[in-house]
Amino acid sequence: MIDNFALAISHGLIALAVWRLLRRPDLDREDVPPPPRKGRPRA
Amino acid sequence: MRDLFFVAFLGAFFAAGFRRPFLFVLAYVYIDIVSPQRLTYYLLNAIPISLIAVVLSVGGWALADDKSGTRIAPRQVLIVLLLAYCYATTINADFPVEALDKWGWVWKALAFAAFLPFTLRTKLRIEALLLVMVASASSIIIVGGAKTIASGGGGYGTLNLMVSNNSGLYEGSTISTVAVAIIPLILWFTRHGTIFPPDWKVKGFCYALVFSCLLIPVGTSTRTGLLCIGLVALLMLRDTKRKLLYLGLLGAAGVLAVPLLPTSFLERMGTIKTYKGDESASTRLAVWGWTWEYAKEHPLGGGFEMYRQNKIRYDTEKVEGDVGNSTVDRKLTVDQARAFHSAYFEMLGEQGFPGLAIWILINLTGIIRMEVLRHRYRKDTEQAWVTPLASALQSAHIVYLLGAAFIAIAFQPFVYMLIGAQIGLDTYLARKRRATVWRPIRTPRPEAVAA
Repeated sequence: MIDNFALAISHGLIALAVWRLLRRPDLDREDVPPPPRKGRPRA
Repeated sequence: MRDLFFVAFLGAFFAAGFRRPFLFVLAYVYIDIVSPQRLTYYLLNAIPISLIAVVLSVGGWALADDKSGTRIAPRQVLIVLLLAYCYATTINADFPVEALDKWGWVWKALAFAAFLPFTLRTKLRIEALLLVMVASASSIIIVGGAKTIASGGGGYGTLNLMVSNNSGLYEGSTISTVAVAIIPLILWFTRHGTIFPPDWKVKGFCYALVFSCLLIPVGTSTRTGLLCIGLVALLMLRDTKRKLLYLGLLGAAGVLAVPLLPTSFLERMGTIKTYKGDESASTRLAVWGWTWEYAKEHPLGGGFEMYRQNKIRYDTEKVEGDVGNSTVDRKLTVDQARAFHSAYFEMLGEQGFPGLAIWILINLTGIIRMEVLRHRYRKDTEQAWVTPLASALQSAHIVYLLGAAFIAIAFQPFVYMLIGAQIGLDTYLARKRRATVWRPIRTPRPEAVAA
């Protein structure tokens, strides 16, 4: 029960982070301007 | 069910990597820390997911990544040197078969640490790496924290952290040290994160996670963890503006915590003072003495797992009665093949003086370099995230070096990733400085992150 809860939280967090990273052009290059902070979809 | 979940998760992770190759690096980091293959029963056990992740990471970097301005940091050279030296001691090891076993995972940790900085080309990548490291470790930390609250802690070796074979980060003392060491990093995300911009939800989660980290040494009843908590509290004092308030809150938290702590924890912590009567502590002193004698005869080291040849005799001392009227009860204990219980002696015994010297140099350079960055960017308002990050990485490293005095974690992969992140931060900032010096007429770069 606790195991699955902890796994769900941590993996959910990683999945969401990866999802957001996919939409960030500044992950690979910084000479392109980063997106405005509040403008990301489903923040 | 759990198996399917992990397969789907990893599948999605790898798929994302094909769009952004850096995500392969994060996938490897995740696999290395969480070891999902050990949490499942069948599906993942048969596939070398770790190997696949590493091949994709290196391949993705070699084929698709921008490599302009890449330089090799001196510490990457040191890590490769340590790797080569470890290979030499493995070939000539006292226990060739067992040594080869440990070499099997050590070389991966070292090689990855040397490779990692090449991929950390942007600020976001450094942040993403640290986020995945913390989130991966959190899967173990949340389990430990929740179970400690639920059960009052199981005492050393009995807190069930999902995996029973007591290795990697799943070992009680190791996770205590690592959990406490990453507290400054977690707090960094409450102020400077951009993947999850700090709002009340992010901050709430981070604080809850820090609380969980503090519970791990309680749940596992590890004395090392308690020492690490003390050290991290001290290190955080450096960057606190209102020092007296901080000390007051710290004192209040300590006073409030003591009645809530389980008795098994308090009893074990009490043995820090009476360590002479304690077999675990006495063995350490005896093993360390034995290792020192061995190193004097074999200064080049005995290779991995050489502790298996030790035979030690030591007295445990128990003092009973009060100060005026005490009896000392000495008991002779004979033991063999006791583990090092200290990274410093692990290095000395296994890799000899040269190996120990390289290892210390790698670690000390990290602390010094972070100190340099802390000072250099202190007044830089445009890059206000640098000083706190260098500070957090340095604190984590110092806490690790304290924990390492009592646990044989000289090659803990998590720590080498932390070192990789340090080097990455260092080379990233150096690249940026060079770019500013060479192209002074360019329009100012857009502000990366507001503090």
